Amino acid sequence: MSQLSETDLTKLRRSKIGFVFQAFNLIGALTVQENIVLPLQLSGKRADATWVRQVVDRVGLADRLSHRPSQLSGGQQQRVAIARALATRPEVIFCDEPTGALDTQTAAEVLGLLRSMVDEAGQTVIMVTHDPVAASYADRVMVLADGRIVHDMPQPGAERIAEQLAMLGRRQRVTQER
Amino acid sequence: MLKLAARMLRHRKGSAVATLLALTAGVVILMSMGLLVESGLRFEAASQRFAATDVVVANRDITLTTNGQEATAPLPEGGTVPASMAERLRQVPGVATVVVDTSVTAVLENGGATGHGWSSTVLTPYQLTKGAQPKNDDEVALDERVAGSVAPGDEIPILVEGTARVYRVSGLVRNAGPRPGPDAPPAVFFTDVHAAAVYPRQGRVDALGVIAEPGASSAAQVADVRKLATEAGVKAYAGAERGVLEQSADLAAGDMLVQLGYVFGGFVGLLVMFVVAGTIGLAVRHRRRDLALLRAVAATPGQIARLILIEVGLLSLLSVVIGVPSGWFATRWVRGELVGRGFIPNTFPFSGGALTAAAVVGATMTVAVGAALIAARRTVLIRPTEALGEIAVESGRNSKVRLFVGFVTLAGAIYLTTLSTTQKGTAALGTALGMLFALVLAVALLAPWINRVAARLLGPVLRAVWGDSGYLAAANLRANAQSMVTVLAALVLTVGLGGSIWFLQDNLERQSVAQNRAGMLAQHSMSSAVGLPETALAEIREIPGVVAATGVRNTSIILGNGEVGGVQAIDPDGIEHVMDLQVRSGSLADLRGHAVAVSSMQADSNGWKVGDRAEVWLGDGTPATLRIVAIYGRGMGFGDFTVTKDVIAGHTASTGYERILVRAEPGTDITTALADVTDRHPGSTVTNTAELTGRLADDLAFSAWLNKLLMGIMIGYAAMAAANTMVMAALTRGRELASLRMVGVTRKQVRRMVHAEQSGLLGVSLLIGGSIAALTLVSVVRTLTGQSVPYVPPLGWVSIIGGTVLLALLTTILPIARLLRVPPIAGIGVKE
Repeated sequence: MSQLSETDLTKLRRSKIGFVFQAFNLIGALTVQENIVLPLQLSGKRADATWVRQVVDRVGLADRLSHRPSQLSGGQQQRVAIARALATRPEVIFCDEPTGALDTQTAAEVLGLLRSMVDEAGQTVIMVTHDPVAASYADRVMVLADGRIVHDMPQPGAERIAEQLAMLGRRQRVTQER
Repeated sequence: MLKLAARMLRHRKGSAVATLLALTAGVVILMSMGLLVESGLRFEAASQRFAATDVVVANRDITLTTNGQEATAPLPEGGTVPASMAERLRQVPGVATVVVDTSVTAVLENGGATGHGWSSTVLTPYQLTKGAQPKNDDEVALDERVAGSVAPGDEIPILVEGTARVYRVSGLVRNAGPRPGPDAPPAVFFTDVHAAAVYPRQGRVDALGVIAEPGASSAAQVADVRKLATEAGVKAYAGAERGVLEQSADLAAGDMLVQLGYVFGGFVGLLVMFVVAGTIGLAVRHRRRDLALLRAVAATPGQIARLILIEVGLLSLLSVVIGVPSGWFATRWVRGELVGRGFIPNTFPFSGGALTAAAVVGATMTVAVGAALIAARRTVLIRPTEALGEIAVESGRNSKVRLFVGFVTLAGAIYLTTLSTTQKGTAALGTALGMLFALVLAVALLAPWINRVAARLLGPVLRAVWGDSGYLAAANLRANAQSMVTVLAALVLTVGLGGSIWFLQDNLERQSVAQNRAGMLAQHSMSSAVGLPETALAEIREIPGVVAATGVRNTSIILGNGEVGGVQAIDPDGIEHVMDLQVRSGSLADLRGHAVAVSSMQADSNGWKVGDRAEVWLGDGTPATLRIVAIYGRGMGFGDFTVTKDVIAGHTASTGYERILVRAEPGTDITTALADVTDRHPGSTVTNTAELTGRLADDLAFSAWLNKLLMGIMIGYAAMAAANTMVMAALTRGRELASLRMVGVTRKQVRRMVHAEQSGLLGVSLLIGGSIAALTLVSVVRTLTGQSVPYVPPLGWVSIIGGTVLLALLTTILPIARLLRVPPIAGIGVKE
């Protein structure tokens, strides 16, 4: 993969992988509808109208399609981003702190949505987060510290995760004292 | 992609409008400039006076070979053809008639005319409408246009070459040739013998008109005539070429417009290029975030590049659609002004446009798209992950090519600067102009680095003056060095080029007037448009109380390099009482025979010393070797060359003195006596010499108008570009200012910070631009006048400094003040 040119990498990314960012990264100039089909458009494919419709319905934005991102709430914007990631039918979606900029209520909605993608559409989702609650939506949780996997466990529940994270912090402090 | 590009443009209205403005104004300026020059280039004078001829043989320019290079210059006084050539032309097969044409100035009561021999009537042709052709020396046929109420048989006075005679009108003629121009002088016809007798250049003629036998006109015949002409050292003009033989205001206007293109073309092109490139570069940089997002959302580098190209392409297209017609209308306006002020005649055709439009569109598109690609290159190639990280910070890397070219140009500029200090005369002038352009170009190319270095150097200064706000300002200047490139380049271009060219004009005007005033010892000047004869001078010299009087005629000579020098031909008797030329070496008393006194400027240019011999060509192309007897300082006020009237006698298109300068003993009133002389010389007037210098000033100011109009437009455009950039930059600072205030910087401190930034940025621009202008002015003014301190009018200082302050106020301080009214907590949420 490291041999590929920047253009080829981009093509690979947009056909196989979907991205959801903490800062949504929607294009302000475009409407919700246009934002969602943008990756398809950029790869020169005709948008599969039924699939896009399905995705839009699933994220619950059917009545917001002609709005601009700036007219939407944070949760709605993140749902647009998820719809955009789904639109290309990627093999995997990477999420980088998707709930970092949202309040708990909205975060729960967004996480529920991601979960339902996995359950109903069989979509693979890989999510990076600091939030034990967010992590508790996953089937498998890996704890990373300083670039290494320190724990790998099937869904252990939010409390276990929090505990693991807390221990991580304690271990660091111990290291410092030494 | 097109739709996406259009949407992106609509979303980023600010930078789109700024880019559009810079582009459109550039197109308008280039378009009108181009139209003026194209009209000048396309202008083809139609033959009028020689319309009925097939070929005309004349001698109107001179080709000189210096250092293996050929240069052709028009003869200032119009050359002549040996009269004997007529016979040889008559031998050419198929030639029906060869008409000898001599032209003299003739002044009638109804106005000026040119006088010719009767056989010249077939050249145009003129047709007899009343009476008969002249048969005796004292008979004349008049053009209907000057006849007025005069009828055949009447006797009228005509001033021919300054001599008044009474003629009997034998008949009236009408110009039956093609459309005579309104400025074409009417003609009067004498007998051929009389026309030849009054012609001052005996044995020579102005032109020979060749008329072929019916049906015999052919290329071979023209070639034969050309061969004969070349053998005699003159030229044959056939077909459309004949048009250039008739000196007309239209022809002069065409030349002036082409000249205009030479003088201002480089400046205009450079300015528009830098402004368009700078503004587009900044606009693209402001859009880095958008572009990075698109990369993150899976647009390939190629797609981003295409998007930018389409966006800029759309804007350029729009600017062309608006700019080309506006440029066309602007040219109409400029034409109206030029006609109104008498620079060009109303008949001068403004033609073409398609070529200019194509060139302007091509050039604008190339510069715009090129600039966009260069500015976008970094953003395009960035990895999407880095892209999102880098968006807020401006990358400091710059093209090594730009740095290299910048330094090479700077080195060239420095070389030219040292060269101009050692050179003298006209060579130094050329070098000074080259230096000016090289310096400005170097600064524009090196602008990013100059901004950065200046910010670093200014840090302590700003801190000392503005305290903590100054510290922040210095940091901002460093960080924004790249964005402010256009401001620096535009201001340096404006102040550097504008200051040099504008104030140079002032200096030259002032110097000419000052020299003339200081050197003019005569109190009275009698002048006449038709020439004053020797007898007038003699009469004046006999008036009691007259210390000295001298006649002056202005003409030109051609130097070895094809340059034309201004000449005053004088009667040297008593010259020392009439004018003080500030002789540096030699003496005007030696001005006898084939001698010349030259200005120190010309002496320096050509390396002449007193006693040297100067090889020159007189106004009609006759070579002459003149002994240099004196070198004087007041060349700008009186002319670069002073010769006796004998040197130019027979080599000028008309004869007589243009004016007679009279010095009277103090306290003696000679006005009545002078008025008597004036009465005896129709067409002459007497003025005070103080008025004469005053009129000189008016004339100079008048011709400077066009230069100043162009300069004004350039300065306005550069100021607009700088304003554009600064407003764009100021309005994107909402978030930054809000964060500053969140961390505890007070509103007042922010304001002081902005003031400090502006002072730093504009101060550096003014300093560099001013230094360039000063350097150019000093070297040019020293070469031309010998003064080492150029004159800058007080209003000049006020407008440069005031204009810059106003610019800063309107474009940054006011927008920032508006941003500061937003509470910081609201401002921080605002996206850049």
